[in-house]
Parts: sequence; structure tokens; C-alpha cells
Amino acid sequence: MQPLAEDQAQEEAVESVATEPVATEPVVMEPASMIENTEATSELQTSMPDLPPVQLEAFEGPLDILLHLIRKQKMEIFDIPMATITAQYLEIIKANQIQDLDVAGDYLVMASTLMQLKSRMLLPRPEIDDEGNPIDPREELVAQLIAYEQYRVLAEELDTRPRRGRDVFQRSIFPEAQQVERPLAEPDLDGLLLAFRNVLKRVGGEVRHQVFMETMSVREQMQMVMEGIRGGSMQLDELLANQPGREALVTTILAILELWRQKLITVIQNDCYESITLLAKEEIEE
Amino acid sequence: MTLIHQVEALLLASDQPLTLQKLRELLDDTASSDLREALITLEAHYKDRGIRIVQVAGGWQFQTAEEYRDTVSNLWQTRPAKLSRSMLETLAIIAYRQPTTRAEIEALRGMKVSSSILGGLQERGWVKVLGRKEVPGRPHLYGTGKTFLSDFGLNSLRELPDSSQLMDEDEVIQSVEAQLAENGQHPEPENNHHNVEQSQTDTFKSSKENHAESKEITRDA
Repeated sequence: MQPLAEDQAQEEAVESVATEPVATEPVVMEPASMIENTEATSELQTSMPDLPPVQLEAFEGPLDILLHLIRKQKMEIFDIPMATITAQYLEIIKANQIQDLDVAGDYLVMASTLMQLKSRMLLPRPEIDDEGNPIDPREELVAQLIAYEQYRVLAEELDTRPRRGRDVFQRSIFPEAQQVERPLAEPDLDGLLLAFRNVLKRVGGEVRHQVFMETMSVREQMQMVMEGIRGGSMQLDELLANQPGREALVTTILAILELWRQKLITVIQNDCYESITLLAKEEIEE
Repeated sequence: MTLIHQVEALLLASDQPLTLQKLRELLDDTASSDLREALITLEAHYKDRGIRIVQVAGGWQFQTAEEYRDTVSNLWQTRPAKLSRSMLETLAIIAYRQPTTRAEIEALRGMKVSSSILGGLQERGWVKVLGRKEVPGRPHLYGTGKTFLSDFGLNSLRELPDSSQLMDEDEVIQSVEAQLAENGQHPEPENNHHNVEQSQTDTFKSSKENHAESKEITRDA
């Protein structure tokens, strides 16, 4: 399939974008890094003259954005100008720095899909299926867009239906409900799960205790700390650096606190975030 | 004492929709045909009033007419929260495709479905777990609950708007293939512009069978 004229005009801009290894780059927090080429950026901006700035929160994912762009500009969904749409999509992603990694992932997957499609469209010879018919690389994306659009429309229609509690109302309170003996509703699995979930919510999630044997004693660590200080002083991080593992660290800290409480040592920090010094009692008295 | 008045009184006193079966129990096994006739008469009688008799989720009940939504809403301090689009879209996909899995919903929306959305739909009683799909991981199968029907004023899933026009994946792919092939043959796509809506109506096929299936599953669960 021949690229459209407008595609070619955009070719350079998008190619410079497409060559950047976006999909594999771990820098998800800054989608802006996708478009660094200033030349490309200026061209991208001119590519969306009529579109007002787009807020990502207004959209339900990448498909929603693409449909918005296609419908707003009255593009032919069965012949999407890949270069234009890719550039506009990237522009939107760039303008909206996505903080949520899960969400950013979905948007970036679509960005790489678009760029991959664009590059496949540029192949001199079209891809051919088993029966020798040319394959349009956009087929899958278009099918996805149409399938999604169906449900987007249905969701809107569902929302316009008169809804109980919003548009229509029923007698919801039975006046004698307190006095009248009423049979309990038939229990089902869902009801049980919901009830359980509510209990969990009230309790505040999982409460579980695991009891371990103490393999290190605070007493031993107190000894160790005192030996380390040897009547002089020692830096806290220096002391902790030699401790293997979390348990040892915690025990050491407990030991230090205990020594401090028993006034065998004192702990000094001159300013916020500065190093912490442990001083033996003898030192203080001097 | 007429049957019509008896039915009317029962509907007013009940705070739940009354099914034909329930009405028969309450009215000494009156013939269904007589009850139906009484209900039709009542429906007609309340057609232009502030309250209506409607059939939802298989039962009849009184409810306020939609036109007086704002007036009635004044009774309460708070209005129900607007449903988010993600919630509505997820609900629509579940309603039309049930039983369906989370993975299918995510594939259709091109976006992750957060647990808070599914949880919110379940808490409202609109969505419930029908079972598990026997594939690796045994994912939950979601479908709509009875509250979905009654809250959205539906008598059965068949009444979902436009359910007959929904295309399944294969149909979408087929129509897309056909359209793209057509565009490929004509080098000037301008002459070939079709509205999607247009092309969709051409290829739309009834999905009533799907609904019959999902009905059965709902009943089993």
C-alpha cells in the first residue's frame, strides 16, 4: 500500500521518533524522552492545528485517544494516516506526564505499536498472506478500535437509560421493616464474598503474626557495641555496616537504644541528616 | 373487590418487584392470563401519572415517572455519584459479553481494569462472579447480577439496547479485512469514504444466540 502524501511529509519527523528505542527503554516516568529532536517536535505541533490541548484524565486509555483523534479530524478509520496519528498520539503522551507506571505502560505499548505499524507501512513491498493477498498492517488495530468503539457507544447508551436511584425511584423503605418478621435472603457465593470483603475492610486487611526463635540476642549485640566503642566513640553507619542482614541490624539498633537507656552510651547528631556518633559514658564525663 | 384493585394494592404495599408467580401465590392461584390482563389495565391506567407500573427483572412494581426525577431528587441531600466512564465501559462489556474474563475486558479496552472498578461494580450488585474459566490460571468469569437488570430498568438481558447490532471479534475482523481490501484496490481513498456506522450496519449480525447462552449460565449460578 502506498503511503499517502501527508504521510510522506511527516515521514522524516516520525522516523526520527521511531528510531528511538522507546519500547525497550526503562525510562517510563518520562514519556517526553521519546521526542527529543526539536525539529521533529516543531513539526509535530503544526500537525495538530485544530486540536485543543488534551487532558489524559479525560480518556479511557490509548484506544480512546486514537478514536478521539480519528473522529475529531474526520479521518477514514479504514485508512488511518499512520504518520499523522502517531505524531499526534506521541504529542499527547508527551504533554501529559504519566506518573502511574501501570497506566504509562498501556499508553507506551500503544506508542510502540503505532510506530511499528508506521514502519511496516513504509516497506517497499507489501506483506502477503498465505493466499497471496496483500496484508494491511493496520488491520488488527482497526479491528481493535471498532470493537472498542462499539462498547464505548453501548456504555453511553447504558448511562442514558433511566436508572433506579438516579432517574426513577421506588419505595425503598418498608415502614414496618423493624417489626415485621422477614425471611433472610437466599445466600449465595457472591453475597458471602461481599460480606467477607466488608469484614476485611473493617478489620483493616490481613492481620498475621509469625513468631520466630530469637537467633541473636540484644545482650550479645550490646556487648558488641560496647567493644566497638571501646571507651571512645564510633559512627553509627560504621557500626551498622558490619552487620549481616536485617535481623542483625534490628538487633543492633535495639542494643544501642538499650545502652542509651541505661546511660552507658550517648548518641549525638549535630544536624539533620548528619552522621550519628555513639559516645561511651566515660567520654561524656571527660 | 376486583382483581385489578387487589393487584394494585399488592404492588403498592410490596417494596420488591412482584413476579407473576408471586402474585399467583398471593391471590389464591388466580390464572396467569387474568393477572396479566389486570397488569396491562393497571399499566395503562398509570401511563400518564406521576408514578408508573413497570416490569423490571421479571417482576412488576410501582416507580416514579422519569420526568419527575429532579423533583423527587429534592427529597434527599445527596445525589448518586456519576459513574465513571471506565466503570460504564467495563459494565457494558460484561453485560454484553458475559460470561467474560478480566483479560477479555482489558483486551477490548486496551487498558488495565483496576480492581476498584470491578469491586465497585460488584458492590453495587451489578456484576457478579459466575464461575471460573477452565483455562490456565482459572480466571473468574464475570456476568451481570439481578440488581443490574432492576437498576437499569431492564426486564431481561435481551432488552439491552442495540444488543442485536453488536459484532463479535470475527465479524469485526472480517468487515475490517473487506474494507481494507476495498481501499487497497482503489488508489484514491477519497472516493471511498465510508462511515463506520454505515459499514457496521451492513455487517451487523444478531447476537441473540450468545444471549441465550449467557442467560442459562446466569440461571445456573
